Amino acid sequence: MINNPKVTHEIHATPPGDLAIWVFIFAELLAFGVFFVAYAFARANNVELFNESQQHLNRTSGAINTLVLITSSYFMVRAVAAIKQGLSKPCALWIASAIGLGFVFLAIKIAEFQATFAAGISLSTNTFYMFYLSLTLFHFMHVILGMVILAAIMLKALRGGYSAENHIGVETGASYWHMVDLLWIILFPLVYVIR
Amino acid sequence: MDKPHKPHFIRACTYIWLALIILTCITYAIGETGWSGTAVMLTVLGTAVIKVEMVASYFMGLRRTRWLWRGIVLGWLILVSGLITIAYFKSLG
Repeated sequence: MINNPKVTHEIHATPPGDLAIWVFIFAELLAFGVFFVAYAFARANNVELFNESQQHLNRTSGAINTLVLITSSYFMVRAVAAIKQGLSKPCALWIASAIGLGFVFLAIKIAEFQATFAAGISLSTNTFYMFYLSLTLFHFMHVILGMVILAAIMLKALRGGYSAENHIGVETGASYWHMVDLLWIILFPLVYVIR
Repeated sequence: MDKPHKPHFIRACTYIWLALIILTCITYAIGETGWSGTAVMLTVLGTAVIKVEMVASYFMGLRRTRWLWRGIVLGWLILVSGLITIAYFKSLG
């Protein structure tokens, strides 16, 4: 480590993965950013309504889903580290674990949606629920897309399609998955906690 | 040549993962107390900002790229969290 400062302090010209995914990531950050700010200003005009409606959200499932996504994101870090060492099978296994946690996230979210709809709540109930449902549904779709991307990468890794020298695909999928995690890290406190 | 570097990188990311878990539990605990107010809001939002920066720098690997890339995410984070804070102060009247 100390004998190899070049590796430790290497600065890359571009972020990990395909540059195209980063254009997509920045576009997504922009879209969600607008959504988050719109929520905050809508809340400023209806504080009592937002605070009252927020009380009915399942904060525990929101927090568990945060832990699930963070851990899933960490598994993708391990998948990238494995393939950089040329370990295809462990890489595929880490990706499979990340996908598995993706399913856990979806299951918890579906249960939350079911409880919300069963209570007669919909997009038109009030402004808070309009934001809550559309923001979380929008994010939900990104989780599904991320899982599809990770599944394709996992299958390619299983076939030996990546190596220590050629692993840009794994980094691309990991970068997208980290973005999904990053967005939820803001969404959870903003919608479920801040009042 | 790259191998001696790996355990250190994984260990650093494991510590980051642990820190993210702890910070999430703190946010949840604050939510469960039912506390509100400016200090609580700034603590919860500040915690989220730190967590996002951790994910971007370590998990996404932006700390090993040119400042431009890290700057875009950091700029986005400052802008969004800043506007959320302004909206919160607006709600106080």
